[in-house]
Amino acid sequence: MTDDNKSIRERLQAPADDEDANTGGDSRGSDVTENGFQNTDSRADLAARGRDDSQTAAPSAPAAPYELRHADLDAAAERSAERKVAFLFLLSVVGTVGFIWVFFASPYKYGESNNDWFTPLLAFFMALALTGIGAGAVKWAKSLMGDAEVVQERHDFASDPADLAETGQALVEGLQVTGLGRRKLLTGTLLLGAGSLLLLPLPLLLDLGPYAHKERLLRRTGWRKGVRLVRRNGSPVRLGDLEIGSLETVYPDVPGGDVLADSPTMLIRMLPSQLVPRHGREDWSIDGHIAYSVICTHLGCPVKLYEQQTHHLFCPCHQSTFDASHGAKVVFGPAARSLPQLPIAVDEEGYFVAQSDYTEPVGPSFWERKSRRFS
Amino acid sequence: MTSTRFQRLSGYAVVLLALAFVGALYTAFAAPKSRAEDSGGTEQSMAVKAGRELFLQGCSTCHGLNLQGGAGGPSLIGVGASSVVFQVGSGRMPLYAGTVQAPRKKVKYTDAEIDQLAAYVQSKGGGPELPSGKLDDGELQMGGDLFRTNCASCHNFAGSGGALTYGKYAPELTEASARVIYSAMQSGPENMPRFSDNQLTPDEKKAIVRYVQFITKGSQPGGADLGRYGPVPEGLVIWLVGLTALVGITLWIGARQ
Repeated sequence: MTDDNKSIRERLQAPADDEDANTGGDSRGSDVTENGFQNTDSRADLAARGRDDSQTAAPSAPAAPYELRHADLDAAAERSAERKVAFLFLLSVVGTVGFIWVFFASPYKYGESNNDWFTPLLAFFMALALTGIGAGAVKWAKSLMGDAEVVQERHDFASDPADLAETGQALVEGLQVTGLGRRKLLTGTLLLGAGSLLLLPLPLLLDLGPYAHKERLLRRTGWRKGVRLVRRNGSPVRLGDLEIGSLETVYPDVPGGDVLADSPTMLIRMLPSQLVPRHGREDWSIDGHIAYSVICTHLGCPVKLYEQQTHHLFCPCHQSTFDASHGAKVVFGPAARSLPQLPIAVDEEGYFVAQSDYTEPVGPSFWERKSRRFS
Repeated sequence: MTSTRFQRLSGYAVVLLALAFVGALYTAFAAPKSRAEDSGGTEQSMAVKAGRELFLQGCSTCHGLNLQGGAGGPSLIGVGASSVVFQVGSGRMPLYAGTVQAPRKKVKYTDAEIDQLAAYVQSKGGGPELPSGKLDDGELQMGGDLFRTNCASCHNFAGSGGALTYGKYAPELTEASARVIYSAMQSGPENMPRFSDNQLTPDEKKAIVRYVQFITKGSQPGGADLGRYGPVPEGLVIWLVGLTALVGITLWIGARQ
């Protein structure tokens, strides 16, 4: 029986002449105190040792004194710890078997009563399987494996001076081979080509500048004079479709109108007596029907939470609240402007149409459209 | 003598037999129909009558003896049977306190009593009524599309509800029955907008009901759903609970015995 096969307890109880074979940390502790830390950095010392892996014999930091554990000293405790580890490993087996059993014996089926327990049971058995292995390994390491501290030296981080010189030489030679210094034409055209690459992102930045402003991209939507208000499935909304206290989300009846991000509009019907149109907008609504942009003027969330008794329009993102009966003016929250109102009319067939596009930009403020409180 | 008496008796017997035959015929053809009509009419009027009794006992204090409303509650003339099915069928009525919004609570009336109350309110001014037949056999995919367009902004994409202004809220839909969901769309209770049959056809309403039942009851995989609000609260719990547990386990592994 060699030392490797003996437990720590057996080796501790071995005779004194056996101690040299024991490679525990204690035997080197005395060397360390003689050779201080300051010596480890000296180049002479490193050169003397060379670049192989013989540093294990080098001077090292003091290892903590080895503390004997319960299981090291007591054979019964060692057996008990072994049994506990084995129990945890077997627990993991139970978890794995249980997982497979739940998965196949009681499979998830839509609408059945065992569904409430299917996922939690899977999770429980999987946790058991993983925890058993993990906890057993930790217990093994903490109670039974040798835990004497060992100090391992690292090699020096700086490269060898000879290597440094050689690398520098190779770089200089490489530059000479390319002829970057001599061939003026090639160097010049290369710099020109690389420089013009910098112009590539400029078209992408155009949308931030005066180009977008000139094209009025942010100031117009899909609505035009005479465009019908249609539902998401394309059916037009007729006067009388909505009861009092109703809300319908409508889109412009143009190609792709239901996916135009700036065009969603809500059509609300309330008692005509409750509707107080804003000055100059008396003919923008019909018989209690009024249309506002869905997009919040604060940060652009959809404001579709309509309370039909209070006429509040509530933005779920930052609690901006608009009063739909008073031109969607802000009554609470961080929004700075009322929701833009879409002027609506009814065509000769009785369907709702827009009188024009929105007369102001929809959505949040941008550089050319300043926030004005309660405009 | 004997023969004349026999003739007289047989004459009576023929008349009696003929009467019995006609009576039997009449019973066979006419009676079932007339009985059904009779009892049907009676059933309807009985329901209205029973509903009136229930209304006078339980509702008239606030809504008035003739549904005209009063200081405590609104007029119920013209609200329709579907409003009763929603308010009483979800336990919101009878109201327990004058709070900003009526909460869902235990239902106080049986289904039969709710139908009687609904028949009584329907008899006063009409209004939206639940259609007969199954209410949750619509098309699931269309229901999902309509739910996200019309309902999800307030009731959340998973039907978990959400906050409105000044303490009001859109309730979660997990406990709502098909009748309650359908009647809510028809009647627009409290601050919820109303969805008429011109806006959402009965088929579309049934599709929405089926989708709501699908997301709230059908697709529950078990475990803690954390309000079904999605990845944000789940991530929060992982960070707070999961990472704390991991740090604890790491400390235990690293601890010296």
